[in-house]
Amino acid sequence: MTKENVQGAGEEEQQAQSKKALKKQQKEAEKAAKKAEKQAKLATEQQEADEDDFAKDRYGICPMVQSQQKLDRALVRVQDLTPEKAEQQIWVRARIHTSRAKGKQCFLVLRHQQSTVQALIAVGDRASKQMVKFAANLTKESIIDVEAVVKKVEQKIESCSQQDVELHVERIFVISQSEARLPLQLEDAVRPEGEGDEEGRATVNQDTRLDNRVIDLRTTTSQAIFRLQSGVCQLFRDTLINKGFVEIQTPKIISAASEGGANVFTVSYFKTSAYLAQSPQLYKQMCICADFDKVFCVGPVFRAEDSNTHRHLTEFVGLDIEMAFNYHYHEVIDSITDTMVQIFKGLRDRFQTEIQTVNKQYPSEPFKFLEPTLRLEYKEGVAMLRAAGVEMGDEEDLSTPNEKLLGRLVKEKYDTDFYVLDKYPLAVRPFYTMPDPNNPKYSNSYDMFMRGEEILSGAQRVHDAQLLTERAMHHGIDLEKIKAYIDSFRYGAPPHAGGGIGLERVTMLYLGLHNVRQTSMFPRDPKRLTP
Amino acid sequence: MPMYQVKPVSPGDIKIDLPTCMYKLPNIHAQGMNCSEHALQNGEVDPALKALEDRQDEVLRRLYELKTMVDGLTKTVSTPDADLDATTLSHAPAESVFRGTADLDSLLGKDLGALRDIVINANPARPPLSLLVLHGLLCQRYQVLSSVHLHSSVSAVPSPLMSCLGPRHIDSYARHRFQLGFTLIWKDVSKLQMKFSTQNMCPIEGEANVARFLFRLLGAEPQDPVAATQMDSWIDTAVFQLAEGGNKERAAVLRSLNGALGRSPWLLGQEFSLADVVCACCVLQAGQTASAPANVQRWLKSCQNLGHFDCVYPLLQ
Repeated sequence: MTKENVQGAGEEEQQAQSKKALKKQQKEAEKAAKKAEKQAKLATEQQEADEDDFAKDRYGICPMVQSQQKLDRALVRVQDLTPEKAEQQIWVRARIHTSRAKGKQCFLVLRHQQSTVQALIAVGDRASKQMVKFAANLTKESIIDVEAVVKKVEQKIESCSQQDVELHVERIFVISQSEARLPLQLEDAVRPEGEGDEEGRATVNQDTRLDNRVIDLRTTTSQAIFRLQSGVCQLFRDTLINKGFVEIQTPKIISAASEGGANVFTVSYFKTSAYLAQSPQLYKQMCICADFDKVFCVGPVFRAEDSNTHRHLTEFVGLDIEMAFNYHYHEVIDSITDTMVQIFKGLRDRFQTEIQTVNKQYPSEPFKFLEPTLRLEYKEGVAMLRAAGVEMGDEEDLSTPNEKLLGRLVKEKYDTDFYVLDKYPLAVRPFYTMPDPNNPKYSNSYDMFMRGEEILSGAQRVHDAQLLTERAMHHGIDLEKIKAYIDSFRYGAPPHAGGGIGLERVTMLYLGLHNVRQTSMFPRDPKRLTP
Repeated sequence: MPMYQVKPVSPGDIKIDLPTCMYKLPNIHAQGMNCSEHALQNGEVDPALKALEDRQDEVLRRLYELKTMVDGLTKTVSTPDADLDATTLSHAPAESVFRGTADLDSLLGKDLGALRDIVINANPARPPLSLLVLHGLLCQRYQVLSSVHLHSSVSAVPSPLMSCLGPRHIDSYARHRFQLGFTLIWKDVSKLQMKFSTQNMCPIEGEANVARFLFRLLGAEPQDPVAATQMDSWIDTAVFQLAEGGNKERAAVLRSLNGALGRSPWLLGQEFSLADVVCACCVLQAGQTASAPANVQRWLKSCQNLGHFDCVYPLLQ
């Protein structure tokens, strides 16, 4: 019984197997047939491609530039592509900003820093179909070398910065290819906020920008902002050097916190710990006592304040000034305000392109100022605020909303965005501020404001060791901690005053931007430590 | 030494009939005439000659004094109201011609313990000359902190415009020591503008209106409504027809000025007023003062003599 069954079963199995096998075989045959077809197709296409591609050597992906050869080729910058170069054949290296293929043509917009130009690859005697296809498939942000003829256009190309010319591409090579998926799109990053909401198009929020700073910094707006910031720094240096100031560099790792001590970063320093400098104040003053008369320094400042506001960073660039004067600290105020006015004038006269570029995305009123700078006394400010309905005491400090309101009132009356408020009450200033000789309730200190926000806090410093000790005790400061500071005034110290500004804040307020992170390249705040 | 006195035997002034048959000798009692000849022969300086020189100097000095007195008097005669002391002709500005009183608190609002700053925005292409004159008058009555600023809308102005309010006050570092602030800002504005208390006052536009406001601070407004209306009328004539009008209009205004000034030394009569300030400034700014009618020229000279217009002349092209 079993044998037959087994046999029968075996036969059935065999039959089943053969059926399955047959099916399998059929499928495989089909697959093979399809494959063969495909291959044949590809082969024919390839043949076609090879046949028709007369422009094979005029495009492609270059091998990685490892300095294989030193080509003596002059590359023209996109911003120099003007009608004067019409009919010239030139090489350009730029990024692909956008690409658009339409049948036998491909339009590329090439971008270099703040300038963009339109490039055209059309099927013709210079370019083949494959070349156009290759160009259309290039990823955005890739860096390419293009040899092209500059052609004048009758109708201005509104969407590019170089509006009067167009490139007709002869050769196109990829120097560095970009990944296909970008974390953010540059057109979105440059779009003004309002426009984004209206047309339902995307804008990029700040955190995404800051996380992908390398791409965000490529936008025309960012390029303009940081070029202007470089201008601020340069004008600051040039103006002060012309006034006879000496540039100094002060240490940033210090042994004791000079101002209060609450907001310092601690670093481990071999077997002990040290602090990161909150300001170069102490060392600037020591330089004055060392007879340098007029000094300035540009360097980082570290504040461990847990403030998450639009205008605070934990690390920023401080531009600090300290100056010995002859008889009255107003000599120093005049010097500082003149420096600021020279900076504003320099920006107004030499950086208009950058200012306009930033205004396209972040519209704002142009910055206005008076020369010589307006100086109001604290009492006048309080009187103006009281006239506007604010109730405040004579010796009360100005709160941020009051500062903004006072800025608006001053703007209304004097039409200036920059002014100095002089003679602050003594009670609200640090211990090293010199008191007013005629009125003990006030001090020889001043604040400077741009667009209603404080940019500089300065004063005449106490240069007498005994008075300094008294003031420190009055403020309840541990004298041991500031012994070195007080000692520097014991061996003859000239009367001096000074102040410091933050580079990022000044740039932000000059351009009328609303967040200091836009003007800091790689900002640091309580929540952000990279990039 | 008491000696006895002898009465004169003969009086000194007896008339003697001199005989004509004798020859005459020169009077040997005349003042040192012969002596001087002797002295010269001896090589000494004759004291008599020296005395003569001294007399001559004295006479010349008295002549000079007389001349200056006469000069002063002519000025006083031709410039009524001026208070010039004839013997002290210095170039200091004349004393204030306005002796009225003005209540700053009622005009400018309560004193809030801080400098009351008047801000004037003017276009450097059309400097407001009458306001500069009024500034000078205000400085004589009050302690005024004057400052000139250049607004960022203008890239540069010629230096006479930056120093048009005079040198900086020594105490200008202490703003609270002054009663009034006068801040002039050269700015790219279409119409001159004055701002004072932005919460309570709207800005005042136009040079004539600001001039009226500042004049009120001097407390010298004519109390008589007829005079006040005439003053306003002259100011309007100056601003609309003289400054902004064509050649014909200007000529007509000069003729009417000439007529009015023929009847009285100043436009409103015997008193110098704002009408004179504004009209004179408009005439000076229009130029061609050499070809103006006689009364107008005399009146302009009187204005100049008052000393208030000294700040204006450096700004005339």
